Amino acid sequence: MKKGTILFSIAVLITTLLIIPAGPAGAAKPIVIGVPTSLYTPFGRDGLKAVKLAVEELNAKGGVKVGSEKRPLKVVVADTRGGEPSTPVHDALMAYERLITKEKPDAIVIGAFRSEVLIASMDLVSKYKVPQLGTIAQSPGFQKKFMKDPKKYKYLFRVTTDALVDATYLNNTLDILKNKYGLKTAYFIYQDTLWAKAFSGLMSKHCKKTGWKQIGFDGYAAGATDFSPALTKAKDEKADLIGMVWDVPLGAGVFAKQYAAMKVPALLIGFIPPMASPMAVKTVGPGVEYAMSIEFPVGASLPLKKLPKTVDFLSKFKKKYGSLPEAAAVNSSAYDAVFILAEAIERAGTLDPDKLVAALEKTDYKGVSGRIRFNKQHIAVFGTKDPNETGVCVIFQWQKDASGKLRRVPVYPDFLAEGKIQLPPWMKK
Amino acid sequence: MSLLIYGLINSVILALYTVGFSLTYGISGIANFAHGALYILSGFAAWTFMNAAGLPFWLSGILAVLISAIIGFVFYWVLLLRLRGIPLAELIVTFAAGVAILELLTWKGFYGIRYSLPVLVRGGVEIFGVGIDYQRFIVLACGVFLVVGLWLFVHHTRIGLAFRAMAQNERTALSIGIESDWIGSLSLAFGAALAAVAAMVVLPLGVMESTIGYEVLIYALAVAIVGGLESTLGMIAGSFLIGYGQIAAARYIGAKWMIIVPLAAIVFVLAVRPSGLFGKFKELEERV
Repeated sequence: MKKGTILFSIAVLITTLLIIPAGPAGAAKPIVIGVPTSLYTPFGRDGLKAVKLAVEELNAKGGVKVGSEKRPLKVVVADTRGGEPSTPVHDALMAYERLITKEKPDAIVIGAFRSEVLIASMDLVSKYKVPQLGTIAQSPGFQKKFMKDPKKYKYLFRVTTDALVDATYLNNTLDILKNKYGLKTAYFIYQDTLWAKAFSGLMSKHCKKTGWKQIGFDGYAAGATDFSPALTKAKDEKADLIGMVWDVPLGAGVFAKQYAAMKVPALLIGFIPPMASPMAVKTVGPGVEYAMSIEFPVGASLPLKKLPKTVDFLSKFKKKYGSLPEAAAVNSSAYDAVFILAEAIERAGTLDPDKLVAALEKTDYKGVSGRIRFNKQHIAVFGTKDPNETGVCVIFQWQKDASGKLRRVPVYPDFLAEGKIQLPPWMKK
Repeated sequence: MSLLIYGLINSVILALYTVGFSLTYGISGIANFAHGALYILSGFAAWTFMNAAGLPFWLSGILAVLISAIIGFVFYWVLLLRLRGIPLAELIVTFAAGVAILELLTWKGFYGIRYSLPVLVRGGVEIFGVGIDYQRFIVLACGVFLVVGLWLFVHHTRIGLAFRAMAQNERTALSIGIESDWIGSLSLAFGAALAAVAAMVVLPLGVMESTIGYEVLIYALAVAIVGGLESTLGMIAGSFLIGYGQIAAARYIGAKWMIIVPLAAIVFVLAVRPSGLFGKFKELEERV
């Protein structure tokens, strides 16, 4: 072969390689969604599944329009381990920062699990100017810190409820239990962490105001494995009601089983994941009957007949992952957050953080958890009256149906209720 | 009355956490810091046998105990054989192995509400007005059975007598034909099996997560240090002191102080009597 022919062949080959695009035709740069959270908890793990479900749906439609170009979404994850009782806040923050600097996400969803980590991470997120839609941590401390410097913290939003909302629902239920069912004496137990103390503190304060007799307000360490002192106290001092707020599976699981086993004649209400979970009957046993719990917001794990979007989301979740989410909290918020972000990106027409924040502030989205709009503190507005106006939660009770099977029956608010509160036989007066 | 009853149950749970750790240390002088990890690993193993293989709980429990014993045995020959006689190295390597097991469990996703072992008998009774579930009776019975059984084992069986000989003087035991490495590895296997037995009766009281491994290790250490590292009587005394101390603290000071009791007990005993209440480990130095 002549030298000229060889050179010509090489030139043609190089030119061809340069002309052929590197990837599939039309493959645009993905929009990166960062998920730095505690995958150790059911909230983080199932929240991530909800995010991936939403991303899959959006990508199936071609992605999200940024200006004139449709771009796919890509999820990058960092397990901060912030939910593990022994993880220092600083360690969780390091994982958070590493995700931001290494993966350079265009936005963050889910975020911190523990409120202590959320509050500490606010400065970090502001420093890197990454819009964040938090969907787990519940402390009202978020809005307090936000209001100290709204300009600095403008990148942070909360798409889910906070302890104030959760407590409002439970307090309204306490009023019903007092006024309609004649319960008078309450005892509160809480996991000794920021949000749980705030949450149960609000319930305790409400009880004091509304004429309940309160026999105690006791905090237990997050890793506690014996609740006999509290349960004995409730029994000895004849509490009608035990208010309990706990999120770490270990302690909550021990409490749930011990409460059922010790047959404490007091109605249980609050937030105890193993008792609220769809798998509670298997985990705790038939002792869950009559236990009441809040689900915040709606659609986290309980399909509601009166809100078809909750049924739709949870059936898609179950179809993809084989079972319903474990915890009765925040999963629907994680799902909604992706759509809220996608809409905001399309409205902004850019991924520029400041313009994206401005678009997020104008959010008006009807999702699984109700209608989501942000107030001046960048928290989603929740109410107790109408899912077409605000986000909503639900209180349910484990009750036996006609066939004797235990199921979770929504009992409050009225517009979501599918049954009435039942008092256990030993409490009927 | 509830203080007495639940103090007793709490004490027996602590004794169950500690009995394997104390046995291994008493015989071979090895502080097995992977004890807590083996405890929770056997719980997850039993859960896996039940849910992945569909085996009944009793069979899953037996298999989990066997697996734990084999891991303990293998630990000795693979990790500890070359480090024998260097206590700090033994401690570091067992601790590292324990952390590796716990991190592996977390990494593989063993956490959440679904991981729960079933109680052997549902329901409960009231004694003097205090409600107690049957599972806690099983915990009590298991605690008594293990302590009495161990005493009979080490006093009336060939291996048990060899264990005692090793515990009293390893060189003399060697001179009468007791193979110290064989007995050392058996002590690890027995200790690990006892951790698994404790797991099978205590874990059904709640749900499982890997961090329990750290907690069990801390409790086992606290009880062993307070009672005396190699003393069975000390282990029982330590369990009761901390067990009742915790329930009393929760009742009279505040629930959040329960977790402080074992740590405070360690600090106090190390400052006042480093050998523990019944230990002879540093007794001579203490007298001097």
